[in-house]
Amino acid sequence: MEERLYDLVFIVRPATPEEEIKKVLASIEHACADRGAKIEKAETWGTRKLAYKVMKHREGIYFYQQVRTTHGELVHELERRLGVQDSVIKYQTVRLDEDLKRQKKLVHKREQRAARRPRRTPPPPPPQPAAEQNSPAS
Amino acid sequence: MSEEQKQAQAPAPAAPREGGDVAPAAASAPSAPSAPSGQGGQGAPRREGGHSGGGRREGGPGGGRREGGPGGPGGGPGGPGGPRRGKRQYFRKKKVCKFCVEKMDFIDYKRADILSQFVQERGKILPRRMTGVCSRHQRWLGVAIKRARNIALLPFAGSAAGTQAPRAVVTEAPKA
Repeated sequence: MEERLYDLVFIVRPATPEEEIKKVLASIEHACADRGAKIEKAETWGTRKLAYKVMKHREGIYFYQQVRTTHGELVHELERRLGVQDSVIKYQTVRLDEDLKRQKKLVHKREQRAARRPRRTPPPPPPQPAAEQNSPAS
Repeated sequence: MSEEQKQAQAPAPAAPREGGDVAPAAASAPSAPSAPSGQGGQGAPRREGGHSGGGRREGGPGGGRREGGPGGPGGGPGGPGGPRRGKRQYFRKKKVCKFCVEKMDFIDYKRADILSQFVQERGKILPRRMTGVCSRHQRWLGVAIKRARNIALLPFAGSAAGTQAPRAVVTEAPKA
């Protein structure tokens, strides 16, 4: 299977002790390491207000990770682990590589078009002088 | 003698005023006796023009169309009936797609600050005709908003409480 890139966001209860958070992160890392996946990005967005109540909480600590893997089952495993943890109130995994691929394609297309455009605008001036030169000559 | 016969055959409303020279025209439009005099032949196309213009006009300022200046193809000047009857009172500047202007080829669901510009106060996704987003970006936008909702960055319904807080990012070193 080809490599795929996933976004993993999960929300932890606001009053979770540090150790608990570390445990959750460690379990994710462990799961990734088991399957030979690579965590490309790991961010903490900190405590944020939730747009709606989740398990009676109005706030939550957001964690964000980007995982590159060739094993699709890893996602199931990660979600299972997060679901088991009591401190995690919400999680979401999103496949990202297809969107990024599309983005790359579009950027490439635009660059090509931009490269072509200047070439298209200069041509009009040359023909005119050429025509002027031709007419006196003839 | 022959003129008298023609007048007698012609329908009653057309007969009295016109006299013999207009009688053939009157005969061509016997089904529309309400049309005054022999102009019936000319009147018919004009009325059609008036109809189409009227139809456009009804479509134009009615309801949601008005909000969607750029979206509606009917926004162009109404056909033959346009200049005569329908004054276009609403000239809207053509909206341009914000994502196209900024050349965004990927709408990130994590950027709640951007996404929140395209939802209503109560969390509804704004229609394209309001925001001027192009169809391709609107599709991506819809997906992004739904993803953001799922992870409580945007509300499903109700006020967008969580969107105003800027994103505080603490980047940790990536681990292998």
